[in-house]
Amino acid sequence: MAESSHSGGKKRSRSESEEEPDVDATSIQSIRLENDLTFSDTSMALQMMRAQFPKLDKVVVQPFILRSQLYSSVKDRTQVDRDLESLKKEAVVRVFKLNTGTDDNAIMFMDDYLIQMDNAVKRLDVKDRELSEVFGWFKQYVIKSKTDVTISHPELCSLLSNGGDVTEKHVTLLINAGLLTRQLIDQNLYWFAIPNIGSILKGLSQGRKELISLINRTKYKEMVLANLEKKKLRLSPLDIRFHIRDLIGSGLLKTVQSPIGILIRLSRD
Amino acid sequence: MWKEIRHREEGSLGPTAFSRRFFSSRVAALDISNRKEFVSPHRGAINSLQVFTFCYSTPFSFTLITNQIIKKSRHKTRQVDLTEGRYLLSGASDGCAAVFDTQRPTKYEGGGLIAKHHSLFHLNAHKFGISSAIWYPIDTGLFITASLDHYVKLWDTNSTQVVMEYKMPGKVYGMAMSAIATTHTLIASGTADVQVRLCDLVSGAFTHTLSGHRDGVMSVEWSCSSEFVLMTGGCDGAIRFWDIRRAGSFLVLDQSLSQMGRRPPLLPKPSNKEPMSHTTPSKPSSSIRSSAAQKRTSQSKIQLKNAAQRSHPGMASSQNRATAHYGAVNGLRATADGLYLLSSGSDSRLRLWDVESGRNTLVNYEATRLQTSKPIQLAVTPDSSLVFVPCMASLKVYDLWSGTTVRTYRGHYESVNCCFFNAQDQELYTGSNDRQILVWSPSIPAFTQMDEADSNGRITSIDQDNWSD
Repeated sequence: MAESSHSGGKKRSRSESEEEPDVDATSIQSIRLENDLTFSDTSMALQMMRAQFPKLDKVVVQPFILRSQLYSSVKDRTQVDRDLESLKKEAVVRVFKLNTGTDDNAIMFMDDYLIQMDNAVKRLDVKDRELSEVFGWFKQYVIKSKTDVTISHPELCSLLSNGGDVTEKHVTLLINAGLLTRQLIDQNLYWFAIPNIGSILKGLSQGRKELISLINRTKYKEMVLANLEKKKLRLSPLDIRFHIRDLIGSGLLKTVQSPIGILIRLSRD
Repeated sequence: MWKEIRHREEGSLGPTAFSRRFFSSRVAALDISNRKEFVSPHRGAINSLQVFTFCYSTPFSFTLITNQIIKKSRHKTRQVDLTEGRYLLSGASDGCAAVFDTQRPTKYEGGGLIAKHHSLFHLNAHKFGISSAIWYPIDTGLFITASLDHYVKLWDTNSTQVVMEYKMPGKVYGMAMSAIATTHTLIASGTADVQVRLCDLVSGAFTHTLSGHRDGVMSVEWSCSSEFVLMTGGCDGAIRFWDIRRAGSFLVLDQSLSQMGRRPPLLPKPSNKEPMSHTTPSKPSSSIRSSAAQKRTSQSKIQLKNAAQRSHPGMASSQNRATAHYGAVNGLRATADGLYLLSSGSDSRLRLWDVESGRNTLVNYEATRLQTSKPIQLAVTPDSSLVFVPCMASLKVYDLWSGTTVRTYRGHYESVNCCFFNAQDQELYTGSNDRQILVWSPSIPAFTQMDEADSNGRITSIDQDNWSD
């Protein structure tokens, strides 16, 4: 028993996903299987990591995947980028730029994003019916047609105006709901954002630091994956496996095969 | 090796395939040279390295002899110049420039095994560090240095005197001359100022100021296919393409525009071009992303709606805020055929752009950490298969088309700033903050068998003792 639980991240997570099949996940799969007889590694990896997304206590957030995590499981990075681009264009997933300081991208399945958006709108609870119409327009005209990471102010206004008259108040409401964020560099440009994700982002960057320092404090700056996996991170609400995948993909950690299992080592450069 | 020669003799292997096979096997065997050393006279970080190589696509050459230009016609046949691939010019942050002979060593050490190359001359060219030093692309009679002390200077190699100097409005980060130019002799310089300035060698004055960048310009590169096309990368993350015959930049690279492979996919039907198509939600808005040119027109349409100003394409592009990198673009290198452009940014990403379509080809070069504060000098092999990238203290070699790491060279103790690939000898030179210039040469010598025989003979003669029993 003990051995099977030690035997590595993949096995454990797979059994985990079998135990608690998400309602949405099964529905997505049943829809997608019809038109996806042939599938790419990237979309498989996305599905797998979506199922592995850690359960969070405090915040309700739909599963998202970091781009760097994909690189940890699929070897050909160029292929990942290209598959992701086509998935993005087919509006299966959405890519968001994260405000963590480094070049991080979060990937969310479109259906999950729409659920997350509805939750955020519900929580905001706008009394004014006229103003809250803008969420419908945003969903219908902007999200469907603009698959990029950013949108400029004139373009946003022209897309929204397909629904009705757009005022600055509408845009303000979208920003307040956390659907758009302002960029510091360019005032005319908005980033699309996942609402209610701030606390996770904080945990993400702090958890990374904590994990790196954890390995850095060991004698040879390396650790067996099975042991590392059992550690708990203090500063991050996310699972340690989430962080390990992320750091391997972004090149800060390396994996080495050894007789006692996979070793995780800090990379030199 | 002998197998290939036999195939060549039999005629089953063509001459180009033969040379290509040799070239790639030698490049694959690159390693730190234990036979050859450059003795660096520099007391600061080496920022720029270049070996004089001549671009043979030009039908004419200019030879500039003390401000006088004589146009001389060139034979159609490829003659290898004696100076070709031979002289290495280095610029360092102590304000010194030095020239080395890469073929004839000045001294031998270690029993004649280690060839030491001292500099032929070095001169205190500038008050502050040199950011870029390049040869005049036609011959070794002149070279140009650009420095952080705001000056670009043109030097006569033989007399080591300044022929001409240009005062720039700010620190000069990068500079380039077109290798294929036949109708102009312009130095493009990127400075801390937002404008790119072109300095004319003939008149000694500025001929163009190209404005469009929102921040300083870190890297400049001339196109290898058209002598009038200049590519600049700025601290604002934009890469702009300029046709120096027209006003404004004609293309701004956008990282969100992408194509899947080496060749662009078929464009969507022209009926989608109409900007009204994305009002209906059922249609995906392929119109927005269909091409860079269309993006510009659609953007200019919005601008026309906003501030009823009529602007020509150059003006419209100056309002285009597309970025190629998050953060500064600190290195640009076009492939030898001029079809692709490789850029590096302070976001530690490398991107490969299709010059024709202006799109990101989505090649992901495996995890790198690049220097962010300084411009870096990348190198691409002439057959555009490999790319050499300085990544902190190491130098990484990537496959240009797949982005996989081929090799990682470690040898320097501090960050590498520049690298240059000498295609003629298949050698690689790197300059670093640790003030050294390292040579990376094929570990298999060109004449394996003969060398072995030679060294064997020598070794046996050394091993032989003088005893007579």
